[in-house]
Amino acid sequence: MSGAGLLPVPLQDAEPLLPERLGELTGLDQLGMGGELIATFIAAFIVGNLMLAMTGVAGPWAKRKITAAFTDRIAVNRVGPFGLLIIVADAVRLLAKELIIPENADRPAYDLAPIVVASSAMLGFAVIPMGSGIHLADPEVGLAYVFAVAGIASVGLVMAGYASANKYSMLGGLRAVAQNIAYEIPLVVTGMSVVIFAGTLQMSGIVEAQAETLITLGGLDIPMWYAFVNPFAFVLFLAANFAEVGRNPFDTPEAPTEIVAGYQTEYSSVYFVLIYLGEFLHIFLGGAIIATIFLGGPAGPGPAELGIVWFIVKIWAVFLLTQWLRSALPRVRIDQLIEIGWKGMLVLAFANLVLTALIVGLLEAELALTMVMFP
Amino acid sequence: MIGLLKSMATTMKHALDGNTFTVEYPETTPDVSPRFRGVHKFSQERCIWCRQCENVCPNDTIQIVTDDKRNGEQYNLHIGQCIYCRLCEEVCPVDAILLTQNFEFTADTKHDFVYNKEQLKAVPWYKDIDPLESREPDRGGWIGEGEGEVDYQ
Amino acid sequence: MSTGLDLPADASLEVTDDQLEALVGDRALARDDHKNAPGFVIRPDDVQDVLFDLRDQAGFDYLSCVTGQQYADRYESVYHLKKYDDPTQEVSIVVPTSTDDPVSQTAAPVYDAANWAERENFDLVGIDYEGHPDPRRILLPETWQGHPLSLDYNQEKPQVVTLAEHANPLQADQKDSETDTMFLNIGPHHPATHGVLHVKAVLDGETVVDVDPDIGYLHRCEEQMCQQGTYRHQIMPYPDRWDYVSAGLLNEWAYARAVEDLADIEVPEYAQVIRTMGAELCRIAAHMLALGTFALDVFGDFTAVFQYAFRDREVVQDILEDLTGQRLMFNYFRLGGVAWDLPEPREEFFAKTRDFLDDLPQKVSEYEDLIVTNEIFQVRCVDTGILEPEVAKSYGATGPTARGSGVDMDLRRDDPYGYYEHLDWDVITEDGMDNYSRVLVRMGEVEESAKIIEQCVDLLEDWPEDEREIQSNVPRTLKPPADTEVYRGVEAAKGELGIYIRSDGTDKPGRFKIRSPCFHNLSTLPEMTEGEYIPDLIASLGSLDIVLGEVDR
Repeated sequence: MSGAGLLPVPLQDAEPLLPERLGELTGLDQLGMGGELIATFIAAFIVGNLMLAMTGVAGPWAKRKITAAFTDRIAVNRVGPFGLLIIVADAVRLLAKELIIPENADRPAYDLAPIVVASSAMLGFAVIPMGSGIHLADPEVGLAYVFAVAGIASVGLVMAGYASANKYSMLGGLRAVAQNIAYEIPLVVTGMSVVIFAGTLQMSGIVEAQAETLITLGGLDIPMWYAFVNPFAFVLFLAANFAEVGRNPFDTPEAPTEIVAGYQTEYSSVYFVLIYLGEFLHIFLGGAIIATIFLGGPAGPGPAELGIVWFIVKIWAVFLLTQWLRSALPRVRIDQLIEIGWKGMLVLAFANLVLTALIVGLLEAELALTMVMFP
Repeated sequence: MIGLLKSMATTMKHALDGNTFTVEYPETTPDVSPRFRGVHKFSQERCIWCRQCENVCPNDTIQIVTDDKRNGEQYNLHIGQCIYCRLCEEVCPVDAILLTQNFEFTADTKHDFVYNKEQLKAVPWYKDIDPLESREPDRGGWIGEGEGEVDYQ
Repeated sequence: MSTGLDLPADASLEVTDDQLEALVGDRALARDDHKNAPGFVIRPDDVQDVLFDLRDQAGFDYLSCVTGQQYADRYESVYHLKKYDDPTQEVSIVVPTSTDDPVSQTAAPVYDAANWAERENFDLVGIDYEGHPDPRRILLPETWQGHPLSLDYNQEKPQVVTLAEHANPLQADQKDSETDTMFLNIGPHHPATHGVLHVKAVLDGETVVDVDPDIGYLHRCEEQMCQQGTYRHQIMPYPDRWDYVSAGLLNEWAYARAVEDLADIEVPEYAQVIRTMGAELCRIAAHMLALGTFALDVFGDFTAVFQYAFRDREVVQDILEDLTGQRLMFNYFRLGGVAWDLPEPREEFFAKTRDFLDDLPQKVSEYEDLIVTNEIFQVRCVDTGILEPEVAKSYGATGPTARGSGVDMDLRRDDPYGYYEHLDWDVITEDGMDNYSRVLVRMGEVEESAKIIEQCVDLLEDWPEDEREIQSNVPRTLKPPADTEVYRGVEAAKGELGIYIRSDGTDKPGRFKIRSPCFHNLSTLPEMTEGEYIPDLIASLGSLDIVLGEVDR
């Protein structure tokens, strides 16, 4: 069933990346390095705006609508069709507010924190293959890169928590960093089990490895998405991811009823928008990673051009799941959270890794044996 | 784990059934009970200036000014200070003051909530309901004529 | 001190008047019987002595209320004692002190409940309690000048409340070289304090080392307002505003019961049934809110459970609106009955109530799915916020807070009033002593209340038309004879809501004292939360279900 690891994915066969295609399309690639750079910027601009637009829809509008559906209410419906213009109204409202900076705030850190939180998520999207040719870069260490930049966010959170000169922020920042350390390891280790299957860290390689058919049930081809191949790792990764991005039931760093708003207590106006955006970007980045390494990336029925649509659908499915859990599950206590992280998730993640390695190794040995016996 | 799944199933059921319990006010106005107590309405024709309402009011919301022959001159009521206990209506022997069901009132400052008797007369019924009947006033002896519409203007 | 008396070993057995007299012995300067209980006047330095004897030898383990008041010639503290096993057994200990030197021995070593109660008397009336472990003001700011309920209080005097930074009152005893602690103000504006409560907390990391609830932000002089109102009309609207989250009728009943006993007013049976039904509707509404806000504290957002609880409470409020004319501030009870009969057409009202009762089991099972069986909810709530029954009793905890600790007391059953004794229902207790038990008790009580309402509706439906008397004949001006004293409690949504009234011969009370269940329940917070984590502090606070309007009055 596996064995993709045997065949290194040839780089030259990969689909051209978005900057290259843009370069070709506009003729910018004729201008040498500078042209390529411009093409890259344009491509990054497109991807960045796509993601920002999604958070823009998700934050002020979708979140309200979804929560309302779960709680039998109507929610925003006055401004524009389906209340969609609330996005504009909210943007104006939030940006027009006074930026209040606490007297004792540790200035450069206080100002940098929102930027770090938001930009670390944006950086992660660079290596995500979103289908329809929207793919900015495809380094060989793609998955490691995503985990690394997403992890920067915790630096931003602890900066925000410490620099705000507020005890609640401090508690929130400390909780954030404790939680991120506890869940980063199971997250990465579980991600590695996928790497063992795929045999590569490169995002395009992981996606390609999932393109094969796992099993055909009643004429329906079930693709070899790793969520189907190893559902255990999928659930583990989902849980670790929710903890990593601080969603229910693991939203202890914010914990509105306990520590007011955690690290973002003292943020207002533009800074608040940035932190809020950053949080949503991180949810979507988490969704993007899940979609890429467990749900076949942009794969889906229909022509390949629909890739981006399927990809966005998958990201939103993950987002919906976060909102569903938010409405249904209580928050775990911080000590329980850390305990689950170190005593539960970590052990399970390593068990999963070892098991995956064993299975893949056995399968490959079998394959090698078959090749020896039937050359 | 089963408990968590049950919780999730319950909320998802609510999300999918499409029922809402909130309404789009003011397009959909709530039905208030006939007994509901809102802003007061005052009838100068009926009032005998006996000051019982002024005396019973627990927080001095009603102010009555009479001349030296006990003819009424002013009847002021601070509807922002009122606690809507309906004691004034209860003690009024002639149904001169009563609480309509009207709960929709706004003002720019709290001083605008001091209603004089003209403003109190002009308070509209809520949805044209006269709440007096549902409150079973037992004051036939005082009202005398009893039958027919009670005119509050 | 042994009296050599032959007192009943079982605390629930009746202690006769003679036995009490013998027990207090010659420490009793005089008798000062109240309408509800025998009373003994004792010297201010005999307080602990007498109370220890009453607690240990006669079984009076429940300090219900401590009333402080000033007469022209003396100050007086009245200790209203009861038994958890049988709250109909009451005794009042009256401790007069001189006007010049109002010092009285504290009862705090005997009952923990006396701690806060005496602080309140010091704050509002001005009686000093010698040996009190924490002689601070409780409701008013520390810098307040004078005692508002004392006779010589100067209302005109301007008060200065400084805006200085909060001194850390806990730090001195919590700071050592081994650990670094952090002082944290939780509230008065905080998402989870259920109003304007200020909890001064000392944290060691995430662990709560010390908490000190600071109350009084919503103090509205309710006792004084009631002292300025006439019995007959003007006081009844105010009880609605103590526990203002839809428990209005329960509060009104406390006042009605006290005055009806004070002035010997009969209540028609029909009115009692209506009262019982209305009160239980209020209890459901109040418990729904308690459930919703507790879920809010544990779940962390205004999400499903909170909204579902509000949706279901809305139905109850509609029924109450039909009945009383208002959704929260009912003002429906009158002395000797209720203001109105059931709304016409009666069938419609019955149908609406029955519909609600029919839907309730399905809704309750939904809460079971969402809360009770949810594993995360269980790990959050089971074995957190432990309140041992003995501690609960000592602090005078009542209501679901006490019943969640296995203290089987419910005034509706143990000190019957209204129509409860003729109805078939159960008192819910849980032995878990934790946050989870308190939630279970409230959910169980919702179902029991539904049972009571159903029986009341059955009764009301068949009530003969010519016997529907809703109010007895009460004089328009009520003037109970001077110096009659009564203390009466009812089972409100949060516990025993008691009213002490002393009449002074006019149509207004001479002293009106409110025994707030939330006040005493809140005083158990340090016992429940010290050594636990911040999230448990929040959850425990939520499980106490306090309403600051009633804590501060």
